Amino acid sequence: MENFKSQIALILEVESVDLNDELESFEFWDSLTVLSIIALASEAYKVEITADDVKKSKTIVGLWDLIKSRM
Amino acid sequence: MNLKFQNKKISGILTIMPKNEVKFEDGIHNYSFSVAKSMKLKLVMGYNSTRIVEDGVCISDLCTHGLNYLFEKKLLNKDEIDALILVTQSPDYFLPPTSSVIQGNLGLKRDMLAMDINQGCAGFLMGLFQSFQLLEQEEINKVVLLNADVLSRKVSKRDRNSNPLIGDAASVTIVEKSETPNTIYGNIRMDGSGSDVLMIPAGGFRAPSTSETSKMTEDAAGNFRALDHLVMKGDEVFNFVQREVPPLIEDLLIKANQKKEDVDYFMCHQPNKFMLQKLADKLGIPREKMPSNIVENFGNASGVSIPTAITYNLGERLLNDSFNICFAGFGVGLTWASLLMEMSNLRFCEIIEF
Repeated sequence: MENFKSQIALILEVESVDLNDELESFEFWDSLTVLSIIALASEAYKVEITADDVKKSKTIVGLWDLIKSRM
Repeated sequence: MNLKFQNKKISGILTIMPKNEVKFEDGIHNYSFSVAKSMKLKLVMGYNSTRIVEDGVCISDLCTHGLNYLFEKKLLNKDEIDALILVTQSPDYFLPPTSSVIQGNLGLKRDMLAMDINQGCAGFLMGLFQSFQLLEQEEINKVVLLNADVLSRKVSKRDRNSNPLIGDAASVTIVEKSETPNTIYGNIRMDGSGSDVLMIPAGGFRAPSTSETSKMTEDAAGNFRALDHLVMKGDEVFNFVQREVPPLIEDLLIKANQKKEDVDYFMCHQPNKFMLQKLADKLGIPREKMPSNIVENFGNASGVSIPTAITYNLGERLLNDSFNICFAGFGVGLTWASLLMEMSNLRFCEIIEF
């Protein structure tokens, strides 16, 4: 989980993230960020998620739950 | 589906690039994203400059130019061409076939076969498969395979999803019977349930172009395009490539009884640098063995991207050296295909401009 938070922080170009942070509130949130998250899920967690899945997950914890549910 | 071909070779590849170069930065003001965000995209995706045809230039112009160059340089004899296969998704007309237009432009012999194939990203593979099959005929000794697309004309300039990566180009590949016996392994898989992942929704018979289909609308990500424009579901393409292409190539190598280390180069279709690097990582092969520099230098010209990767990265080395090359194309259809063959002693392997 901590590892996941730092991976996401890196993609979002911030020092750290909180579990309840809303994805769309980040300054660098865009389609490239979404693709980077899809790539992270594929590489680090071997799961497949879509742009739509990412959008629907809303928050950092939502994203984590999504990835966990596919593992 | 596994395929196997015997005693065939590629004896020359020519890529024809439009002179007109468009820089990523020049188009940045068209997108509804901050400059900082677009520059980050440029960095990650490897966007830099693309080659785009001038207004009105069609694929038959590029192909005719390339073949005339080969005739003039005496690298190809007009009368030797027994078959002309053109793979494209941007034909001059619905009918006649653009291969007929090219045959007429060049005054090729009548005792031959010319045909168009509608394929994109896997178009080089599909074209080679067809060429190899035609060469089984006694009277077909030399096939000219043309890959050509000018899809920039169907991409919205305000679509940051597609516009920065699309390029135009054509290639001529000479395929013939090989005097030295060889076996070429290939495979192809298709999934038409994903036919909407990459498409131009309007302009065909299903939805003819009208003033309605030319209306620009904004998508959820902030890109503007019309139904007449090319639309790509980038995330689905990414997942598709990561999921399907590694097993495709691994199965090919098993059939050919070869290891990844036996392959000198993996020449793949290039949607963008990001996707190819992730593919190399997933396959567990060094990134230098899978060149990913075509999009940043020329743009992705669909089925022409593999021949361009060969002419740009290997070029003259293929006139004397020998390389064991794995090709892989994947995309529109959805279609994914790969092929493993030894390439050497080409008569030509270069890029010219139009």
